[in-house]
Amino acid sequence: MSAALPSSSLAVQRGVLGAVLLVLCWEGLARGLHLPSYVLPAVSDILAGVWSKRALLSEAAGYTLLEALVGYGLGCLVGIGLAVAITMLPVLRTVILPAATAINAVPVVGYSPLILLWFGIGVVSKMVMVAMAVSFTVFLSTLAGLDRVDRRAVDLMRSFGAGRLSILWRLRLPTALPLLLAGMRVSTVRSVIIAIITEMLGAYGGLGWVIYQAVLQIDFVQVWSAIFVASAASLSFFGLIGLLERKILFWK
Amino acid sequence: MREMAVIIQRDLPSVQAALQTSVTPIAAGSPEAAAKPLLELRAVTKSFGPVTALADFEASVAPGEFVTVVGPSGCGKSTLFNIVAGLEEPDAGGILRFEGNSCHAADLLGRVSFMPQQDLLLPWRNVVDNAILALEVEGMPRAEARAKALKMLPEFGLAGFEKQYPHQLSGGMRQRVALMRTFLFERDLMLLDEPFGALDALTRAMMQRWLLDVWQKYRRTILFITHDVDEAIFLGDRVLVMTARPGSVKLEQVVDLPRPRRPEIVTAPEFVRLKRTLLDAIEEESMKSFQSAVAEEKAK
Repeated sequence: MSAALPSSSLAVQRGVLGAVLLVLCWEGLARGLHLPSYVLPAVSDILAGVWSKRALLSEAAGYTLLEALVGYGLGCLVGIGLAVAITMLPVLRTVILPAATAINAVPVVGYSPLILLWFGIGVVSKMVMVAMAVSFTVFLSTLAGLDRVDRRAVDLMRSFGAGRLSILWRLRLPTALPLLLAGMRVSTVRSVIIAIITEMLGAYGGLGWVIYQAVLQIDFVQVWSAIFVASAASLSFFGLIGLLERKILFWK
Repeated sequence: MREMAVIIQRDLPSVQAALQTSVTPIAAGSPEAAAKPLLELRAVTKSFGPVTALADFEASVAPGEFVTVVGPSGCGKSTLFNIVAGLEEPDAGGILRFEGNSCHAADLLGRVSFMPQQDLLLPWRNVVDNAILALEVEGMPRAEARAKALKMLPEFGLAGFEKQYPHQLSGGMRQRVALMRTFLFERDLMLLDEPFGALDALTRAMMQRWLLDVWQKYRRTILFITHDVDEAIFLGDRVLVMTARPGSVKLEQVVDLPRPRRPEIVTAPEFVRLKRTLLDAIEEESMKSFQSAVAEEKAK
């Protein structure tokens, strides 16, 4: 436990160092070679762009994050719910698992024309897309977690006279938590990506919409500014769930 | 080290008490005294496909009795326990009686406190919450169950450790938490499956003495599986030696050593005589199972 802290802070130091080096190289290349902004604008120009467009970008980021978060929440609920249902009623496994796999054999974005048609250009279609993408990942990881339960621990609970629900609540779900949360953590970044991509295909706002508009206006500094903001939002969402994960899984 | 100190300190009063009181044999200890057995198995057989794990197993356990079961590895001891714990149904034809009533194995679920070989503590629960797992399943409010467990902690050498998590405990302490969980699930019959098998010799010896103390205080009936003949004699009122697979009772040996038993008893002539009898019986069965394993190997 005590050894994990210094090594992780060392990892953070290295990560920061790497990022700083990358930014310096980027800045040096862009300025030194006088690259035009449609090839690669300098980092300082991008940051200045973020600052000057802060009202537009923060509104867009709020829009995208709303879609991503609501879709994410829905997706997690559906994924966990399906996995629990399969565990409680094993007959469902042969029905749900092939259907879920078939639906997800196509990249989720492939469904976007249909989803936009059904749910409109507004936020709902993005939430549905995010939920679809997130639910499958969370479903598979939760199912793997629930299946990992120790047979002997189940027998012990049964010998105490515990029923299926009690075993689910006291044993199976906590056992599944590490994998469930890992699936949730991976899905954070996916949820923001899917929201942005769907916005590019048709939306009234959001970072994807800003990027799309900026490309049409040949304003590449703004494209990059939006990408920076999206990346920051994504990373903080990822970090937040990661933090939550470490808090919950204190015994790992 | 810390845990040993706890046990030794805790043992002192009971040692003094043992010296003061004269040695009294436990009435329920002798099978003759039992009018009505708590548990009775007649002609119990269990097969898994082509493999017969138990064949015509016969045994009865009187209320308050401490019965130990020894046998060569793979002789069906665990199958026996799974049946008595209610986890597995024996083949049709055998008779299973609990508290005088004939029953299915499944009827025993929730009526026997079972402790498997592994402690199976839940890593996300601290010592107290692991100990109250069975009480919680029974529907006792958590606060009440915790209060009950807290009172029991010192007796299990766990005082001050209630907030610790399993990964912070030594093997001996984890085993005691598991035992406490079993004790808190108050049932007349306790099934202990090699509870001390994974412990080092010193810790194991202390745990055995401690278990006898606790048993004498709570007067539960115990059926105890072990590999260790010394342990079987030291703890038991009666030792059942099982045959090689398919398992049945080869020898039923009453241990008429006085209680409370001191650690030195293992060198007493009566103890050594019992041990020789049991070892001979086990040796014979071990050879059989070894030979049949070799024969199987050759057949392949």
